[in-house]
Amino acid sequence: MFWRILWRLLYASRARLVLALIAVASGAAVCTALLNLDLDATDKLTREFRVLGANVIISAPQTGDAAATLGAASMREIADLRLPGVVAAAPYLYLRAEANAGRNSTPVIVAGTWLDEVARMNSWWKVDGNWVSARDNRSDCMIGELVASRLGLLPGQSLKIHYAGREAALTVAGIVTAGSSEDTEIFIGISLAQELAGLGARASLIQISARGSTAEMEEVVRRLSTALPGLEVRPVRQIAEAEGRLLGRIRGLIFATVFLILTLTSLGVLAAMAGLAMERRRDVGLMKALGGSVRTIMRFFFAEATAIGFAGGLLGFAAGVVLSEWVGQQVFSVSVTPRLIVLPATLGLMVLVSLAGALPLRLLGRVRPSEILRGE
Amino acid sequence: MMATLVQVDDISKAYSGLVVLDHVSFEVLAGEWIAIMGPSGSGKTTLINILGGLDRPTRGRAVVDGVDVGKLGERELTRYRAERVGFVFQHFHLVPYLSAVENVMLAQYFHSVADEAEAVESLARVGLKDRIHHLPSQLSGGEQQRVALARALINHPKLILADEPTGNLDEANEHIVLELLQELHRAGHTILLVTHSPEIGRMADRRIELAHGRLTQIVANVT
Repeated sequence: MFWRILWRLLYASRARLVLALIAVASGAAVCTALLNLDLDATDKLTREFRVLGANVIISAPQTGDAAATLGAASMREIADLRLPGVVAAAPYLYLRAEANAGRNSTPVIVAGTWLDEVARMNSWWKVDGNWVSARDNRSDCMIGELVASRLGLLPGQSLKIHYAGREAALTVAGIVTAGSSEDTEIFIGISLAQELAGLGARASLIQISARGSTAEMEEVVRRLSTALPGLEVRPVRQIAEAEGRLLGRIRGLIFATVFLILTLTSLGVLAAMAGLAMERRRDVGLMKALGGSVRTIMRFFFAEATAIGFAGGLLGFAAGVVLSEWVGQQVFSVSVTPRLIVLPATLGLMVLVSLAGALPLRLLGRVRPSEILRGE
Repeated sequence: MMATLVQVDDISKAYSGLVVLDHVSFEVLAGEWIAIMGPSGSGKTTLINILGGLDRPTRGRAVVDGVDVGKLGERELTRYRAERVGFVFQHFHLVPYLSAVENVMLAQYFHSVADEAEAVESLARVGLKDRIHHLPSQLSGGEQQRVALARALINHPKLILADEPTGNLDEANEHIVLELLQELHRAGHTILLVTHSPEIGRMADRRIELAHGRLTQIVANVT
């Protein structure tokens, strides 16, 4: 009998309840979209952030001993580890050198590295000209935009690098705009840098760019530390923290919006239910006269609100999945995969919101049947 | 010797200082049909409401089937209404979105468990077997009042309280409803019926007449 009466109640008040259903479905759609974005897009963004440059740096302990730079064996050991998620890894040898082009000259930082890995590790760089694709190219280089500006260089033009009485002549393949210290550096093949330095096959440090969750990154660092006991393996915390702050702000914004949407949804349901409460005063008075307890009568109305929350939640979830995919593409440029956990979360929230919106119906418990039934 | 089913003992009721019942006392025996009569505003409906547990007396006692109605708490009053009294109202008061049989089953549901077969049988007794799935809006006034009668009887109450049950009916339907009430009376039901009509009043065993909230006389009808 309960379900029979419930169905009759829903059918009888369908016009008013459709308004509540629309409010709930709209709220559910936005909540689903935001929760999906929070769970899926931020995870993908985390992975995207992880490939913005190196996030693990390996160096010799800071002893002040020039001989304590890294040997070629370290790179081989890293390669042998076959670490998961590694996007790029390269040795770097840094030199404070002098560069000149024609009459212009400037002190620069020369970074000798595997030039083919530079593109993989720094895919967000803006490059005017070309990347250098051969690992050990000895005739081409890439220069930061500030160096190019000081030396008045354009892609295809030549420069010379002087270090410790040695000299290298190079052609500018591309000019790099990174918005950071790379803008003041010159990237050349590491074997050429080693020749200029006269140190043999050694490097200042090794940079690794790996992608993965925080736990996966911690595992990479742990394995490297174990494999290279004499070296310092450091995650690049600055980037991780900045990334964490940004994601934290996105998440805060998402939760604040979800809270706002839930409040608005509840108000929408409340408006519909307040009207319904007025309509049902007579029915409630009659039910009480027939021996219906307040609890039994209210159970009908709250079951009705639950049904609306559930139905609206389901409809809204379907719409929210589409919305999250669209927002993911438009705003974050990532494809958002619907997360199943969002369905029960949305349904639960919508049922709660509908029940909260149905609270005015509780006032019906105060209806005095003798006053209601006195006349038409 | 019939037992006393209703004992009204010096009952008064006032709303915001306005006295609508003033020291009313009487008794009703089990199986009696009592007509409560009097002009508008004489306190007839208030008296019925107090006996039905819809209102409380300001003073005095209303004892129905051994229960002092005025002393019941809210929960007990709800059970009292579900189990001991059956109401028939002038304006029928059916739930508009429930069918005839569902309106009867609603009273069963509040009492204990809804039983559709029993509800259908109850409607058949009032001549509505072919109208059980009709909504109130699809029934005539007389048919609606017969549904209300079936609903009032479904839980086998000790006391039937009817507040001008024919007040909104044409002559033909009035006749049908009165015949049903007479049948119930013959079957041993106790009926308190509010009416303005002297003819209906004469059908009862006794007439209790009120004026300005006071009981003016109790008249036993000679059959």
